Amino acid sequence: MNRLNALDKRILNRLQEDIEFVATPWKAMAGDLGIAEQLLLERIKALKKKGIIRRISATFNTLKIGFASTLVAVKAAPSKVDQVAQRINAYKEVTHNYKRNARYNLWFTLVAKDKHSISRIIKQIKQDQTIDQLLDLPATKLFKIDVKFPL
Amino acid sequence: MLTRLDRKIIRVISQELPLEERPFKLLAAKIGIGEKMLLERVRFYKKNDILRKYAVALNHLKVGFRYNAMAAWNMPAKYVQEAGAIMASFPQVSHCYERKRGKDWNYNLYAMIHTRSKRGCLEAARAIAKKTDCKDYQLLFSTYEYKKSAAQL
Repeated sequence: MNRLNALDKRILNRLQEDIEFVATPWKAMAGDLGIAEQLLLERIKALKKKGIIRRISATFNTLKIGFASTLVAVKAAPSKVDQVAQRINAYKEVTHNYKRNARYNLWFTLVAKDKHSISRIIKQIKQDQTIDQLLDLPATKLFKIDVKFPL
Repeated sequence: MLTRLDRKIIRVISQELPLEERPFKLLAAKIGIGEKMLLERVRFYKKNDILRKYAVALNHLKVGFRYNAMAAWNMPAKYVQEAGAIMASFPQVSHCYERKRGKDWNYNLYAMIHTRSKRGCLEAARAIAKKTDCKDYQLLFSTYEYKKSAAQL
């Protein structure tokens, strides 16, 4: 784990909230934090370089912009799970893909422009001979999306 | 309804916000509109819950949140609403969804739990089990991350 100093923690906590939708959002944020804009930008660049910050960007309610999504679970032979995961990763519609300690040992999420694309990709993945079984688990209700790591 | 221009804007602002004095001016130029109009659209998306968040995505492992578990619950339909709200109230829970049950997978409520220790995940799940009075669940720890990326819109 990387050591974060007190300023970095404050910056990262602030960055986990919306930026201000103004012409000079970094200046506004630096003002909130009581530091100079240049220092803020330098720290953010350093945190990016260390891989602590993946990106700063807008994320959308995929349903509201007409996209479809689902969670898929796969039972893959333990000796083949890496290979299966790599093949699944190749789809740009796959956003997350994790190995998990369960009888369904590979779990991934799909976000695509419509339901039809989702079905097509699942059908293709199912043809993989090393996959025993596959579950398509689309969400029927959202209770929460709020990824936050208090530092 | 979203126009073709909206789709273009959404694609562009899903990418990195430049670390420059006038970041929206640079993004607006990419889209071919003015800075003011871009800011107006962004505010509109936010107000209408189209834009969820304009914020950082952290590498949670590198900031010390080393454990994440997906808790899958077999929750009777009539309790789903209440249980979902309880799960959502836990700060350790980042995502909570009701989902279709699978053929040999009788779970319908899912909570993603992020903590600094394995014990923290176990304790959060136990606390949820107690509060929702539902003991039928599985805790699936992630043992390897093959991919984590933003949706390509």
